[in-house]
Amino acid sequence: MSRTTIKIAGESGMGLVSVGTILSKALKRLGFYINLDREYPSLIKGGHSNVQIDFSKEPLHCLSQEVDVVMALDRVGLDEYVDTIREGGILVHGYEKRERLKDLEERAATRDVKLVYLPGRQVAFFHGGNELMVNMVLLGMMWKVLGFDLKVLEDQVSEQFASKPDLLKIDLEILRTGYAGEFACEGSDVEKVEFPEMEIEVPEEVPETILLDGNHAIALGAVQCGVRGYFVYPMSPASSILTHLALMAEKTGMVVKQAEDEITAAQMAFGAMFAGTRAFTGTSGGGYDLMTETITLAGMTETPLVTVVAQRPGPATGLPTWTGQGDLNLAIHAGHGEYPKIVVAASDQNSCFELIQHSFNLAEMFQVPVIFLTEKVVAETKSTVPTFATGDIEIHRGLVMDEEELQNLERTDRFKITESGVSKRWAPGSSETYYFGNGDEHLEDGRLTEEADTSRAMYAKRMKKMDAIFNCLPEPEVYGVNEKAEISFIGWGSTKNAMKDVIKECAADDIKVNYLHFEYVYPLKVDMLKKFIARNKNVCLIEGNYTGQFGDLIKLKLQDEGVLFKFKKRFLKYNGRPFFLEETMQFIIENKL
Amino acid sequence: MTCDPKNNCTEYLKGLAEKRAQYASFDNEEKITWCSGCGNMGIQNALKRAFSFEGLGVKDLLLCYDIGCNGNGSDKMGTYSLHGLHGRIISAAAGAAVANTNLKVIAIAGDGGTMSEGINHLVHAVRNDYPVLFVLHNNQNYGLTTGQASATTRKGYAMNGSPDGVTTEPMNPSEFALGLEPSFVARTFSGDMKHMTKIFREALNHKGFAFVEVMQVCPTYNKATPSKWFWDRLKFVEDIEGYNSADLEMAREAAHDMNDSLAMGILYRDPTMPSFMERLKSREGLETSILVDEVKHYDVSGFLEELQ
Repeated sequence: MSRTTIKIAGESGMGLVSVGTILSKALKRLGFYINLDREYPSLIKGGHSNVQIDFSKEPLHCLSQEVDVVMALDRVGLDEYVDTIREGGILVHGYEKRERLKDLEERAATRDVKLVYLPGRQVAFFHGGNELMVNMVLLGMMWKVLGFDLKVLEDQVSEQFASKPDLLKIDLEILRTGYAGEFACEGSDVEKVEFPEMEIEVPEEVPETILLDGNHAIALGAVQCGVRGYFVYPMSPASSILTHLALMAEKTGMVVKQAEDEITAAQMAFGAMFAGTRAFTGTSGGGYDLMTETITLAGMTETPLVTVVAQRPGPATGLPTWTGQGDLNLAIHAGHGEYPKIVVAASDQNSCFELIQHSFNLAEMFQVPVIFLTEKVVAETKSTVPTFATGDIEIHRGLVMDEEELQNLERTDRFKITESGVSKRWAPGSSETYYFGNGDEHLEDGRLTEEADTSRAMYAKRMKKMDAIFNCLPEPEVYGVNEKAEISFIGWGSTKNAMKDVIKECAADDIKVNYLHFEYVYPLKVDMLKKFIARNKNVCLIEGNYTGQFGDLIKLKLQDEGVLFKFKKRFLKYNGRPFFLEETMQFIIENKL
Repeated sequence: MTCDPKNNCTEYLKGLAEKRAQYASFDNEEKITWCSGCGNMGIQNALKRAFSFEGLGVKDLLLCYDIGCNGNGSDKMGTYSLHGLHGRIISAAAGAAVANTNLKVIAIAGDGGTMSEGINHLVHAVRNDYPVLFVLHNNQNYGLTTGQASATTRKGYAMNGSPDGVTTEPMNPSEFALGLEPSFVARTFSGDMKHMTKIFREALNHKGFAFVEVMQVCPTYNKATPSKWFWDRLKFVEDIEGYNSADLEMAREAAHDMNDSLAMGILYRDPTMPSFMERLKSREGLETSILVDEVKHYDVSGFLEELQ
């Protein structure tokens, strides 16, 4: 698969995001599939950051490590990124004190990296613009380097700055100068840019896609499945779920509430679910720590509750704006006592959109908390994806709503000990038959008990829901060849995206690779897993943490089944970055049979 | 309506019997586990009286209890209840109340849960004016964990865990709430059934967050302020000349004294303050009123088109 990777580097606040948005939309208009990721520090202004866009004629799912073209908006951008450019790649910049770049030019030359330059500020000022408009000069140059039609870019710039018509006129002039690469005005140290030519084939057709990130997809999925309340405290990388739901609220009527802390957010979502609507909350690992007592209350009172946990690496504050998969054990084990629960992990936009809907169904059908894991790279990476299928996931409330049934309930129906452990649930106020939602151990009607045999029976009633849940969850999915792969992987979450691209690359090279992907990570399904390890001899783990938490879970589960299993290799990553295409390819080449 | 010998009393007696039956319907089979003389019994009964007078039945009520002695009442009243976590009940109740504004949601918590563990929830519940009646059981100690000091224990008194006496000044919950620009703050006393009932009825008719502090006796652990101590100091706002419960400054001044004269009654009320739901632009002009009835498929294709 041929892909092109471009990067816009500079300080936060220099207009990287708007350049990224313009570029991604322009590329989308040309018919490319794109993946856009933002690497940024936990600051609003200042501090170095970049926007990376991978694009291709064919669908692509992960990011690549090496870059074809870098647009450096400042000196730091030049220094930091010149060595990440692929041999023979291009560096676009407007840094005017070129005498200071001798060393950098030499470094670039050793790897045949070509520098493309116009005096950024001079061009911007010449057209009556300001310092911030340097990005338009460079954008024009980059577009020329890529070899695409200027009109497509102009349209997107016009759309982006439509609200500021005066500035837009200047922006467009600057953009055109950059694209033309000619600036013969007094004091200019370059008259005409010699653009290196990249030969990128433009797609013949423009596929029908939508461009969004995982958080946006979660918000849309929640709206679709009838969620009426979102209670939250902001925390990266979950924060933009709030943004999207709040922006949509005027049309959806949803109650979107930023609470005073994560405990409140979880309690309000819990209270709303207890009352019988659909509501949820979202946070990252640290916020989830604060929520866990509430999650146990949901477990004890058999109240459905969905919590999105968008992972970032590290304990304490860690790396707040980077990615990782270190909170699987947190999701599975957090909370005192024992209670049934489900942990799911979204991997891409479509998965976010659908899995949030399934999560509500599962939570309500089994009256348990569902922990919905994402990662920064899933939550915030924007991609072009086929538009979502709407309305085909049925809503299952697991709630007694039939008027006749509501009239014939017994108080003990609420927590009745049944074969599956699931009892009838009805909304407070919907029936004359009341019950107590009791966080203390309780009888079948919710009255408190401390009696030994009853306590034991009620404990077991709740826990045995895990069997019913296990039986209902879907098996994991195999990507790549069905059997006898030269190398196989097992993983969850965003690793699917790296594996999908890698499998395609490998197929072209005649290397047989496959990957077993889990969306439902707890309780862990085992049939397909057993088949997969029996059919493939070189099974490795791919996971974004230090200890291989999911790998351990798999090992234990197989051990329970009487299968002794050891991963041939554990491919682990925990530096805040997602699995890139190149390193995953490298791992395969080094470790395949 | 009263019974006048000149009129037929049947209607009046019928109404009374209905209320009595409704009051009795809140009983259930659970045994009371509070100490003899505990203020909780009075509070619970006053709530039942208020519900009965207001014609509120099982389908209208959700009682949400915090952890503490008050929480042991969570399965003693015959209506829907939630027994949550320590310090957090205001937030859970707010979530439930927002989800179903047809329910009267009552949150009940002690001084430990409210003024220490979960004081942030109180602060923001007042600010947001969630549609909740909040009953603070202020018995000035942690009863259920056997008499430790709370934020409202009087300075100098020896408590379990503070044998040399409490070293901090007590907080004044009503005054604290009045500092948050509330819409309703009232104070009553667990020994005064009639007054409690009256205050609860008023609070049930308030559309926003109704903060009711019940000054409560704890015969087991609070020896500092027994029943007589309270009775000697109760000062009903009706008896304060020129008292105006629409005047926040006056309320703050009245609530301040906790030693000689305890202001009782509706200290402050602003019935015009828009409640939480009324402030939400997203809820303007919607046909349905409660979130519980709105769970269904929503068409997101319009939003998806914007992303093309």
